[in-house]
Amino acid sequence: MHPLLHSWKASLLYFAAWVPLGAILGLLISAAGSLTAFETAVIIVPVTVILAFVCLSPWYACRALPLKSTSAGRLIGQHVLAAVVVSGAMLFVARIAAGRTAGPVLGPMVAMIYLLSIAMHYVVIEAQTSRRSELLAREAQLRALKAQVNPHFLFNSLNSISALTAGDPMRAREMCIQLADFLRTSLRLGERAAIPFREEMELTRMYLNVEQVRFGRRLQLSLDVEPACGDCEVPALVIQPLVENAVKHGIALLNEGGEILMLGRIVREGLRFTIENPYDPLAPASRSGIGLANVRQRLEARYGNAARLEVEASADVYRVTVVIPVKI
Amino acid sequence: MRVVIADDEDLARSVLREYLERAHGMEIVAECANGFEAVKAVAEHQPDVIFLDVQMPKLDGFEVLELIDRKVAVVFVTAFDQYAMRAFDAAAVDYLLKPFGEDRFRGALEKIARRTGEMRPASLSSELKNAVRPAGEYLERIVVKHTVKDGASVHVIPVGKLDYAEAQDDYVALRSEGRTWIKQQTIASLETALHPKRFVRVHRGYLVNIERITRIEPNTKDTWIAVLTDGTRIPVSRGGYARFHALIGG
Repeated sequence: MHPLLHSWKASLLYFAAWVPLGAILGLLISAAGSLTAFETAVIIVPVTVILAFVCLSPWYACRALPLKSTSAGRLIGQHVLAAVVVSGAMLFVARIAAGRTAGPVLGPMVAMIYLLSIAMHYVVIEAQTSRRSELLAREAQLRALKAQVNPHFLFNSLNSISALTAGDPMRAREMCIQLADFLRTSLRLGERAAIPFREEMELTRMYLNVEQVRFGRRLQLSLDVEPACGDCEVPALVIQPLVENAVKHGIALLNEGGEILMLGRIVREGLRFTIENPYDPLAPASRSGIGLANVRQRLEARYGNAARLEVEASADVYRVTVVIPVKI
Repeated sequence: MRVVIADDEDLARSVLREYLERAHGMEIVAECANGFEAVKAVAEHQPDVIFLDVQMPKLDGFEVLELIDRKVAVVFVTAFDQYAMRAFDAAAVDYLLKPFGEDRFRGALEKIARRTGEMRPASLSSELKNAVRPAGEYLERIVVKHTVKDGASVHVIPVGKLDYAEAQDDYVALRSEGRTWIKQQTIASLETALHPKRFVRVHRGYLVNIERITRIEPNTKDTWIAVLTDGTRIPVSRGGYARFHALIGG
């Protein structure tokens, strides 16, 4: 079906636009063919109504004859032929309705309106395809961005397991399972566009379980998340990469480590999540932006300006705040 | 052989300890959890070999490499991927990719035994650091080692606080916050590591922080003098004068 007819509003608007168009057409034919007001009305009402429907038909014709792959001769020939047929049909309708010819103007005017509607359909189809391919490209990009388990994390964890096998086989096994849990969940969530916030936090917890074996007492955690956050729909893998950053660029580069503070609240704009970690201000900041830029891009692609990702760095505390719009 | 282990993770150190205990004739003289400690331990214990993690608090493995005695054999132990590690081949005796098995570890010990007494070329460590730096990124800090009464200490100079560097044969003298630090590095390799818009080589022997230059005075026909904010006067050659003007767009 024609996309205009999918919604009541659009259909109504379309047919309303034909009222002034019909009126102008009526004025023209009555002047050119010296018709009475009654004769004009008798001709113009059925012609306009039929024409309004006929002018939707190029939707099919235009798609059957795409601009790029149809020769110019065939394109013009087919559409002009259709225009001639349509205008002939309208003249016939006028003849029947009024019992006389409609004068010299009606035929060319109908053909012109029909050709215009063809042109407009090509414009609409072109805009639609370009928007669809843009969407597809963006989706592909998002999939690629999400599928990133950090190899450095993976190899370091395997090294911890290798260390534990000698002295503490039970803990080695436990860490194997924790690592597997994290990887499996991360792959599963990565395939989904949106997940409840609760599941994202579970993934983050699994990640931190593994890192706590690696860093021991150097990695301390404080978690304060309002229960209402759990049901909010959020994009997958937004929080976990940010927490991974806090470990990699904060805790891992501090002698004594420190505490990662996580705070989740429902605020007016949506769900607000804050991650705070101590860091070494003298440590080189290189490459720290990649995970952050990735999350920022994905939020932007999905929410535009409605989502926010803010970074504040004080003398020795790094704070990332993310605000995601949610339906409550 | 006397060994120093430097890794910030307890478990990572314990793997090395386990393998070293089973190998013959290996004695662990120090275990370090960060780069500062590693530099100090090498100066204090003069080991034959150091097993060195790349990502550590305080100083990373490359910075430690720059600051320790060139006679010490270095084995990098890291989770970095193989590709990135190719650059290390020249500077380190070997590198172990985490996790590694005991056979691979013994292979590293054999390489060390074959190469004892070899010295790394002086310029290698800073060149290695240039090689692993991603394109378009520049040094943010310079590390220097200095002697204090109970051994070695490490000082970190953020590049914004470096006034200028002066070449002294194979060394550079670095002027920062009223003090002078000596480091074994050529001025050319320091120049490539620093941001080309922030530091300008005004003379064969001088690399200057552009923000410190207050004015340039003519000296002789083909030479000038750069006057810095603290009044220091630095010679400027004809080429250096051209580079300075190209940079400030004058």
